[in-house]
Amino acid sequence: MSMERTVTQAERVSGGLWEGIKAVLARIGFSPLGVVAFIIIALLPLVPPFNQEHIMRWLVMGAFLGAQAVAFDFTAGYINVVNFGFAAILGVGAYTSAVLSNTLPILIVQPGLPPWLTIWIGALAAGLIGFLLGMLTLRLRGIFAAVMAWFVGIALMGLATNMPKLTRGSLGFAPPPLLNTTNNLPYYYVALGMLLLTYICLRLVTNSHMGLAFRAIGQNIDAARASGINPTRYRVINFTLSCVFAGLLGGFYAHYIGSLTPRTVMHTSKTVEVLALAYIGGRGSMWGGAAVAFPFVFFIEYLRSNLSQLPGLHMVIYGVLLIIVMIFYPGGAAQLYSTIARRIQRRAKGG
Amino acid sequence: MEATRVQPSFLERVMLNMRARPAAWIVIAMTLGFLVIIGIFAGPSQLINTIVTGGMWALMAVGLALVFGVMNIPHFAHGDSFMIGAYVAYFVFTPIQAYLRDNPNPFLSAVGPLIGWIAAALVGFVAGAVMEKLVFYPLRMRTRRGWVMNTFLLTVGISFVLVYGANLILGPNFRGVPNYWNVPPIVIGSVRLTMERIAAFVVAIVAIVAFWIFLSNTRTGRAIRAVAQDEMGAEMVGINLNFIYTLTFALATAMAALAGASLLFMFPAYPTVGLKPLYFAWYVVMLVGLGNVQGAIVGGFIVAVLQTLTQQFFGVSYEDVVPVVVMILVLLLVPNGIFGSEVKGIQEQ
Amino acid sequence: MAALLEVEHINAGYGFLQVLWDVSLKVEKGEFVCLLGANGAGKTTTLRTIAGFLKPTAGDIRFEGQSIAKTPAYQISQMGISFVSESLNLFTNMSVRENLLLGAYRVLDKKKQLQALDFVYSLFPRLKERERQLAGTMSGGERKMLAIARGMMSMPKLLLVDEPSLGLAPQVVVTVFEALQTLRKEGVTILLVEQNVPSTLRITDRGYVMEQGKIVLEGPSKELMNNEHVRVAYMGI
Repeated sequence: MSMERTVTQAERVSGGLWEGIKAVLARIGFSPLGVVAFIIIALLPLVPPFNQEHIMRWLVMGAFLGAQAVAFDFTAGYINVVNFGFAAILGVGAYTSAVLSNTLPILIVQPGLPPWLTIWIGALAAGLIGFLLGMLTLRLRGIFAAVMAWFVGIALMGLATNMPKLTRGSLGFAPPPLLNTTNNLPYYYVALGMLLLTYICLRLVTNSHMGLAFRAIGQNIDAARASGINPTRYRVINFTLSCVFAGLLGGFYAHYIGSLTPRTVMHTSKTVEVLALAYIGGRGSMWGGAAVAFPFVFFIEYLRSNLSQLPGLHMVIYGVLLIIVMIFYPGGAAQLYSTIARRIQRRAKGG
Repeated sequence: MEATRVQPSFLERVMLNMRARPAAWIVIAMTLGFLVIIGIFAGPSQLINTIVTGGMWALMAVGLALVFGVMNIPHFAHGDSFMIGAYVAYFVFTPIQAYLRDNPNPFLSAVGPLIGWIAAALVGFVAGAVMEKLVFYPLRMRTRRGWVMNTFLLTVGISFVLVYGANLILGPNFRGVPNYWNVPPIVIGSVRLTMERIAAFVVAIVAIVAFWIFLSNTRTGRAIRAVAQDEMGAEMVGINLNFIYTLTFALATAMAALAGASLLFMFPAYPTVGLKPLYFAWYVVMLVGLGNVQGAIVGGFIVAVLQTLTQQFFGVSYEDVVPVVVMILVLLLVPNGIFGSEVKGIQEQ
Repeated sequence: MAALLEVEHINAGYGFLQVLWDVSLKVEKGEFVCLLGANGAGKTTTLRTIAGFLKPTAGDIRFEGQSIAKTPAYQISQMGISFVSESLNLFTNMSVRENLLLGAYRVLDKKKQLQALDFVYSLFPRLKERERQLAGTMSGGERKMLAIARGMMSMPKLLLVDEPSLGLAPQVVVTVFEALQTLRKEGVTILLVEQNVPSTLRITDRGYVMEQGKIVLEGPSKELMNNEHVRVAYMGI
């Protein structure tokens, strides 16, 4: 009798613990399956086919692109504003960090600060630009904001090109590396850490009352205004936060890739790449973009190395996928996943 | 048949608009003033350049304004229609040129370029219709929620497919025709006017005027404007919306393609050639007010003047920077653009 | 012979909200029929469904014996049904004359267009005076007239008019109703939706009364005028 009782209690306690863990995980936006997936991704470079340097490089790019998609979807999926100057903002972070940590005499300034510090300054600089841009455009309707962000992005790229003393313009320069190694593995864990940081921070925001306001604004701005939400304020907050993380990622990229030109970081096509990823992954899910980033990078790199006679094929595929998702499956990969999960659950219950 | 005019003329309309919008007056006066300044300080050939570019931006912007006004689509792939036109003109005109080299024929060498341009406009028309039917029509059938943003992303996708598709098939090389006609430039005083420049300007003006007459005086043109103002009203009088949408998109694409074809001597065809025209057309449209077709015509010239001024005083490399600063200032003063926005669906965010 | 318009047992609504429940009505050629009822009774929904802007989920609508339940709105318009909506849906940035010419969009014959123009101008001389004014700058009454005139420009076989008296001064309402009477004398078939029950019953031949999405009463207007229920519920007697 008493034995049985303790068992049930233990069960209840462990059940409660399990529920508690699940609740904590949910707060930072992870389902148990998500944790497992993340751990698998994190352990991937230790397993044979993935432990080659060039494949690890793809993994780094996957984490980098995924983190960008998360930050992008934070504005696009929640407040329904497409930040078309995303890449340029990222470039602001990259250039700020790169110039501040510069030690080479080819630029007029050699502050020589450690990259570990400057990427955070870069993030703040990008956030500041994002804040100003947001103040300027987010009073306007979504499409104005998108196009204005695009223009400002082009102008920022123009500025970066036109200040050769500070940036060496389109010739580019080599920022000091973030880590004292040429191996990709440590960089991979830094990139993964940034992905995790971006995701958890932004998820904590969207799970707070602010997230509710964001969603309300994204779905119907007039209704949100009528119910006492100040749309401009929340949109600016959202936009600025997203830009801070864009800047941080830009800083990482500058010190990882080791060469910086305006075109390779700030060009509109870079924004479009991230945009396509975020939407294919599933708008408003945040994790969708990050999840599809890895297979995408692999797919693209595979195309690039095996079908080099067809340059830019992956871009065409990006475009076609974006179109198909937008027309026929607006929920993207995230919706596909939840549909399948629900079906499996139903079948499990039915059986 | 009837003496009474159906509607106020273009000039009257402009005047009417002006009275309501002092900002427009000021900007136009400033533009004319700057044109004079350019003429004096930068020389008459700069002046001519400015006017030619203005005509082209106007031609591009009209299509953009039309597509936004009638269909509520913020068209990001408009520059790629320009690219299509440039390629078509190149591939039609080069064989003609080669043929002429062996068998000279004064008539053909005079009209050869025109054949290329007409072909470009036709291909643009068909391409636009196909795009509309293939991409926007299915979305419209599925849902119209979040239309503006969704179609914007769709056009981004289209742009990707067209640019990298061209890159894939035709490669990244430049394909240009430095001169369409082998005639010496006309020299008036210190001004050298090449035939290409004159022709490009004439094409822009003729296309814009023809389009304007079409919009204001024909049954179909009126129907297009009706759809831009009230879709349900248009359906009530028996207008087939889907037909008008497809026609509008096709016309806009044809105009951009024509611009691309007639500017082939300035912008050789390559995959991303459309980016700059797209950028400036959007700049015009944002500056004058989204969806405002008349505004777009005037705006093309305003932006061209601004561009020349930037080149003169800041250097070509600041072409992307200075306009944005001006735009920000303008939009802070008049958020709906200097001629005002005329869009039914802009309520949607 | 079948009636000009036959609505048979239709259900219709917006999304999950069903508004019309088994609505049937009939309009004979040359008749002036009214559809009465309180706010939210489903009158406007009925007209929108006939005009093709809403598709019935059950039942059938026949025009001249042909089913139009699945026909798109613009084709219904081309078949000869003109719909004058409550919100008018005028082209506000176009002149009066352009609005009218658009009303004759489906008339390809230029001569017929001009005849129609003369006809509506004789009906509403006020519009002729304002020919070149932009529709958006006119007064409420003038706009109503313009909307009805635009509906007449195609010489429709059936005119659907939704609450023409709404938001108008009493004096203007009289003008609009007189115009409808003139149309009726010209032999136009009209289905009129109204809340202004007494004056509507005075000018129409036959009427239907709708309540909560259903037709509850029908009969010649004279009989309806003496009907106890109508008198109590709609005429305040």
